[in-house]
Amino acid sequence: MSALPAGDPNATDHRPSTPDAHRPADGSLASRQAALVAALVAGGPPPPGFAPAPLAAARAALLRKRAGEVARHWPLLAAALGPSWPATFMAWAGDRPTGGGLRDGWDLARALQARRALPALGADELAVREATFRYDADEPPRRRRSPAVGRAGGAVAVQLAGRVRLIRPAR
Amino acid sequence: MTGPRGVGIGWRPEIAGFVAELPGLQFVEVIAEAVPTAGPPPDALVELRQRGVTVVPHGVRLSLGGAEPVEPARVAHLAAVAELLAAPLVSEHIAFVRAGGVEAGHLLPLPRTREAVDAVCANVARAQAELPVPIALEPIAALFDWPDDELDEAAFLSEILARTDALLLLDIANVHANARNRGTDPLALLDRLPLERVAYLHVAGGAEQGGFYHDTHTDPVPPPVLELLAELCARRRPPAVLLERDGHYPPAAELRAELDAVAAATGFPLVT
Amino acid sequence: MMEPAANFDTWGVPSRTFLILYLLAAVVLVIGTLIHRRRTLAGRSAPSADQLNPQQVAYLNGGDDLAVWSSVSSLRSQGLIGVQPTGALIAEGALPPGATPLDRAVHHAAGQHYPARQLRRTEWVARALDELRDGLARHDLLVGPDRRAALRLGSLLLAALVALGVARIAAGLANDRPVWYLVLIVGGLAVLTTILFVRVPRRTRAAQDALLGLRHRNRHLAPAAKPAYTVYGAAGLAMAVALYGTASLWALDPTFAQQADIQREAMAAGGSSSTAGGYGGDSTSDSGGGGCGSGGGGGCGGGGCGG
Repeated sequence: MSALPAGDPNATDHRPSTPDAHRPADGSLASRQAALVAALVAGGPPPPGFAPAPLAAARAALLRKRAGEVARHWPLLAAALGPSWPATFMAWAGDRPTGGGLRDGWDLARALQARRALPALGADELAVREATFRYDADEPPRRRRSPAVGRAGGAVAVQLAGRVRLIRPAR
Repeated sequence: MTGPRGVGIGWRPEIAGFVAELPGLQFVEVIAEAVPTAGPPPDALVELRQRGVTVVPHGVRLSLGGAEPVEPARVAHLAAVAELLAAPLVSEHIAFVRAGGVEAGHLLPLPRTREAVDAVCANVARAQAELPVPIALEPIAALFDWPDDELDEAAFLSEILARTDALLLLDIANVHANARNRGTDPLALLDRLPLERVAYLHVAGGAEQGGFYHDTHTDPVPPPVLELLAELCARRRPPAVLLERDGHYPPAAELRAELDAVAAATGFPLVT
Repeated sequence: MMEPAANFDTWGVPSRTFLILYLLAAVVLVIGTLIHRRRTLAGRSAPSADQLNPQQVAYLNGGDDLAVWSSVSSLRSQGLIGVQPTGALIAEGALPPGATPLDRAVHHAAGQHYPARQLRRTEWVARALDELRDGLARHDLLVGPDRRAALRLGSLLLAALVALGVARIAAGLANDRPVWYLVLIVGGLAVLTTILFVRVPRRTRAAQDALLGLRHRNRHLAPAAKPAYTVYGAAGLAMAVALYGTASLWALDPTFAQQADIQREAMAAGGSSSTAGGYGGDSTSDSGGGGCGSGGGGGCGGGGCGG
């Protein structure tokens, strides 16, 4: 994420092209751990031998926690979806590993916009973010240095020298 | 170096003002990954240090339990934070957070096998080589167990601690959660752990959902956890206990009451 | 100054003499005016920052509007006002005994279903705001209208001097005398006079210092820190809005803020890194949260999927 100091070890910005690329096929600790992680966050099959109910409960708990984290970064989007926020997020995020709260929310907002399901407040928030940061889905978001306009679902935000203004809210 | 003492609270920016105003506070814990090492530390932490409050960096993403060797950059960061804040020790988890190039986004339990013990001990040794202070290891709460565990939890933890000679960060809420979800006796586990290694305790809130007890950190500390805390202190009181809360913060009065309850359960002086 | 071969002096006063006298007069007048300004705007008898309540702070920071928003935020966080889908406010419940006159006025106006943006113009609220303003002026935190007028009057003297200089220039031009030095001096004086006339601050220096001190003491309330407003209570939220603008209310209760059409950007002031008001959390760093913790890294004990 662009705001972290250089060389920061906390960037969670690597996403493998295929999850299997890193997964050794033997029964080693590494492969078993990889299989478990895939089952929990990437929509992979449950590894053999695990009791299904606790694993499912764990998967759901992880998603709920992620939803809470994303809501911290996208409070307007979460508030706009109201009681359907957890379900909306969890349905979308079910087999996508996390890229951090900011990216998860961003990807979700864009997905909702694509299917015209982005609520007005969420559109406002997305427009402001789009004007402030440059984000293509493969790289972490970077703060924009030049003036920019962000649009989302009818909302328009303008950014100039680091100051952003929502000039037209979505309705 | 003396470690933490008394009752502490997890420092979070969301409640920084609340923490700053606790008169009797003696120590806090801060998420190591949240402290930048380029430049001075956040001034809220500097002020706490100036008051004489001990700050313990708590790592969450080192993934010491992973099969892959722990990344040197992450260890270096933890070490740098410890030095920046003049911490007497650091802490991390007996867990893994990534595998196969995918971030789990959460602490995941290890299979309790000899292979896993070796992996953890190797990573802890790598970390200890670079850390300027001792490390305390925290066992986590798990909703599920691996299918082919060779050791039970007490044996697993005891072996890791003995081989690494690390301190123990005992999370009472995790002990309660695991016992509840497995149907075992938490006191039986406590009696078999090397309690003399405890550097400090964690206590946190959770909630029942879907037939499981979830250690959420966003709920009040339930009475059974406080009782377990009291039982432990009756056996062997550790030097310190930390209240962890990560979200859904209640009004300040409730948070203070919770700190008081923790102090009452442990016999430590009040911090509010 | 070269002595031209003219055979008389404008107004009977030699150029050099006039220049020296004029310069002297200008220097004396400018210094005098500046000293007088400094003394008037000092706010010597102002109370210290901790004696100010959030609404006073809001008024100092952002005037009528921000004071109203601070009151609305406080009432909303106590559950005393709500909003209908039409944007009309509603009053819910009774005010606690410690409510300020502005709180009472806003609550009353909410009971009469005014929309939030019209609160300022309702009778009680306007009166409460006047009282607030007068109180602040009395305590030497705001510069009252009479003092501002007095300051402007002070610069009139300078304007008179400028006029004298212009007259001298005109006369000098008519008499074909060199006037460049005078033009320079009069020009500079004119610019200074204009600045002093136009820029008369609203707040005294004591108020500025108080605001700076409060913002430093309350930096945990800045939107960038994503404060947990529930911990800090209604008073904390009121102070957050007073110091950092309506972004705080938007962060706490975005649906209310949207339905009540609360102004989005008000005083994103002093060091907060927030972008448009209402959009806290512009930080891109998953401050340690991403991995195993939500927010501040919780779920550490939440370990094994106990989140």
